[in-house]
Amino acid sequence: MGLDDYKGISEAGELRAIEYMADKLRGRSFLHVNSTATGGGVAELMQRIIPLIRELGIDAKWKVIKGNKQFFEVTKRIHNSLQGQVGPLTDKMWDTYEKVNKKNGDKMDLDADCVFIHDPQPAMLIEQKKRGIWVWRCHIDISTPDKVMWYLLKDQVKKYDAAIFSVASFAQSLPMPQYMIPPSIDPFSDKNIDLSEAEIDEVFERFKIPRDKPILLQVSRFDPFKDPIGVIESFKMVKKYYDCTLVLAGGTADDDPEGERILADVMEAADGVEDLHILSLPPFSDKEINALQRGATIVIQKSTREGFGLVVAEALWKNKPVIAGDVGGIPLQVIDGVTGHLVHSVEGCAVRIRQLLQDPIKARNMGIMGREHIRRNYLITGHIRKYLALWLSMENPGQDVINL
Amino acid sequence: MAEPFVFFECTPVERMTGRHAKDVVDFLEILKQISSASIFHHMHQYFLKTHVAPPEYPNDFTCWIADCLEEKILAERLANLNPFEFANIEDVRVELIRIITNYLKENRPPRTVREGKEFFFNEGITIVIPTGLVATNLAEFKAALDEVDPSCIYYHFYEARLRLGRKVDDFSCFFSDCFEGECTELAERIRRLDPYMYTAETLKNKLVSLVVSAMEGK
Repeated sequence: MGLDDYKGISEAGELRAIEYMADKLRGRSFLHVNSTATGGGVAELMQRIIPLIRELGIDAKWKVIKGNKQFFEVTKRIHNSLQGQVGPLTDKMWDTYEKVNKKNGDKMDLDADCVFIHDPQPAMLIEQKKRGIWVWRCHIDISTPDKVMWYLLKDQVKKYDAAIFSVASFAQSLPMPQYMIPPSIDPFSDKNIDLSEAEIDEVFERFKIPRDKPILLQVSRFDPFKDPIGVIESFKMVKKYYDCTLVLAGGTADDDPEGERILADVMEAADGVEDLHILSLPPFSDKEINALQRGATIVIQKSTREGFGLVVAEALWKNKPVIAGDVGGIPLQVIDGVTGHLVHSVEGCAVRIRQLLQDPIKARNMGIMGREHIRRNYLITGHIRKYLALWLSMENPGQDVINL
Repeated sequence: MAEPFVFFECTPVERMTGRHAKDVVDFLEILKQISSASIFHHMHQYFLKTHVAPPEYPNDFTCWIADCLEEKILAERLANLNPFEFANIEDVRVELIRIITNYLKENRPPRTVREGKEFFFNEGITIVIPTGLVATNLAEFKAALDEVDPSCIYYHFYEARLRLGRKVDDFSCFFSDCFEGECTELAERIRRLDPYMYTAETLKNKLVSLVVSAMEGK
């Protein structure tokens, strides 16, 4: 897969900009470090973005820190606290966090011209910086963090040369420059690549979901912030007027007891509701999610709290109108009344679903606009363009206009 | 022979200041202190971005005040401020402050936005990239316009005004001086365009049509 494959999908000017900037950075080293090689949005992104950057002549590398169960319990606690849940770390936990980071840093070759450290798990690697530009790339929503946790972690974060956040509201008061770079989708990944009708049919048949009526779909973890029970309530309101199907597709992780509990609550709320399908998908279900999104009539993402919400971009890319909560990065993707609707309540969600079911032409046009919006703003090529531009701008500090 | 026109495109980098406002008073206070780069960014990024559906108003400040604060009168007054009538961004700042201050004197205490809908002040950095496209005659100019990204139009038409500290764009300057005065009419037509009423994409189409008319001797 190379940049040429994106001709005809991404803008010509975008590809031209990438090639020109990459030429300026040819032979330079660009290291990315995160905490997982598989599963999760960051790993998914690295798998796609690193080979493309390498193909441009930049020595891009991706490394993954190793840790034991205890370490990942600590980092999960940090992750949750930064997203607003209260959960202080004990001295012993901080000690584990520091030691595992140090051990990884001792073994890992961190020598590069530009180093991106993704999320809090490997953030303490900054202690072992020797040279280059070091950037903390934060993918999670830290707009309302647990104050104590952020106060303590900030001591590490401010040692970086810069930080990147996905949405403006995630920015913090930090002494170094902060940049906004949203995440992206890759049209050629398993989750987004074109599928034939036969492939879509096969997935729906496998899950025993008839395609004889309009299908409403929400793809998300079984998490209270995604409000799956609210979606069921909206569906019940819609069902009084329109014969349609609701699919709630998500997964729970073995180490996530809360997910199991929410799934049980969802099952209880779904009891006796006709045409409702709840799918608990295993990891690596990208093709299945792709098919479900392509087979849906309307995609819902009724989040009450959200990071960027890249699942919205995935649905819009497949020409689906999206009805979604007005939170996090969703309003950047759902332009209200253009690519879908932003909603603030169960009732609002129901009304917007009814409007689009009643007016399929409007729904189809919204889907078309949605795909174009994502094509222009949230594809992997735009992401690479922004990464290279950021690197070059950091090598030219103090300039608002940089002539290459 | 005159120098050819050299086409550049640009890639923006968005830097966050970490400062945000939740009501008009907050907003005014930050507006007085924030960098001119931030004001420039929020008054101009509409013209750099491509839109599937352009926002109701052509600058970020006005959109926020209309959509999130729902202060429609203030939004309309701010929307009427044409940044291209000003030779520098500090004069734009003074005018923004004057309009908002007068509004606050006349009106009830402003409402506060709900959480997550605050105005976040950012700044823009522009990376300028040569396209490799040049034009030595109108046919080449039209061919290059067909090829370039809207960011090229932004760079030469919108950003040029501030970069060069004059109220004119690169295109009309070029046509004023080139081709032994044969294109002064085209230069004048471009100069008469109201930049505030276009996006980079719609302006690109307009420029193409003006160049084609000039080629046909209209």
